[in-house]
Amino acid sequence: MRLFNKSLLVEMALICLLAAVLGFAWNHQLLYNAWTGKATATSPTRNAPVAQGGVPLPAGLMQVKEFYDRKEAVFVDARDGTAFAASHIIGALSLPLGETEVKLPQFKAKVPQTTLLVVYCNGYDCHDSMDLGKKLLLAGYRTVFVFEGGYPEWKDAGYPVEGGKP
Amino acid sequence: MEGCRLSGGGREAVRYGTKELMTTVLRLLLGGVFLYAGITKIAAPTVFAGSLAAYKILPYFGNYLVASILPWVEALCGLLLIAGYRVKAAVSLIIALNIVFMAALASTIIRGLDIDCGCFRQGGEKTSAWTALLRDVAFLITAVVVMTGTKTKEKKFF
Repeated sequence: MRLFNKSLLVEMALICLLAAVLGFAWNHQLLYNAWTGKATATSPTRNAPVAQGGVPLPAGLMQVKEFYDRKEAVFVDARDGTAFAASHIIGALSLPLGETEVKLPQFKAKVPQTTLLVVYCNGYDCHDSMDLGKKLLLAGYRTVFVFEGGYPEWKDAGYPVEGGKP
Repeated sequence: MEGCRLSGGGREAVRYGTKELMTTVLRLLLGGVFLYAGITKIAAPTVFAGSLAAYKILPYFGNYLVASILPWVEALCGLLLIAGYRVKAAVSLIIALNIVFMAALASTIIRGLDIDCGCFRQGGEKTSAWTALLRDVAFLITAVVVMTGTKTKEKKFF
């Protein structure tokens, strides 16, 4: 018995084709934004509540680097002050998760709530960036991404870092 | 003797009926799972694109392209399984998708990536790659059972 006959393959292809048509029709704005490099949660209006619902959007290294190169985002370092002082992504602001109650008002005064934020910490095993991202969404920031690879992935990729004061 | 043959045939009929019932139940369950998986991703394509980006397999636009189309494939396959229409095609696609998902999950384990699988509701509780992989094995076995237990009665398109 042949596992796949011609008719079965044609039917499978038709299902994929229909899915592609529906997917393109449903997400045409998102795909356009992604194609032009502007895809964020705020672009397609129906996606905005997902970000505002209290869950930051995960972002990969490539996407984060594009934000960095285009100066589209403010990078927020969720690690403690010592780690930040040792080294951090150039231009990042320090907002350690444990000190948010003290430092968040200053941060809000400095960074407008319409700013796209990318929060990072110590990589995939570190969940401070996700927790801080949730706090920032609650504080009124509209678009918050969590860079899950964090500082180690950024540094390992050879992207610019600097030492500084927290 | 005649009576023995009849009761043997009866047992065969019961066995066949039980197998068919089991296939139907599994088909509906599998259909429900994939319909649910598709709908939750259709509702949040940007977040699903983020989940795909975390796998670090596709390029930037590829994540959005797959996030736009894949959930519709899942939802359509789920609908077809529930409707009992073109079951073999739908379940074949589900088998193919599961193999791809399992390969992607295995790659995250090998590369040491601690990410959410992004399998169902986007942005919820984190599901580890091992949990997702075991779940996909169960789905794959179910799909194969449905595939082998389904008789083709439908008219071919071509």
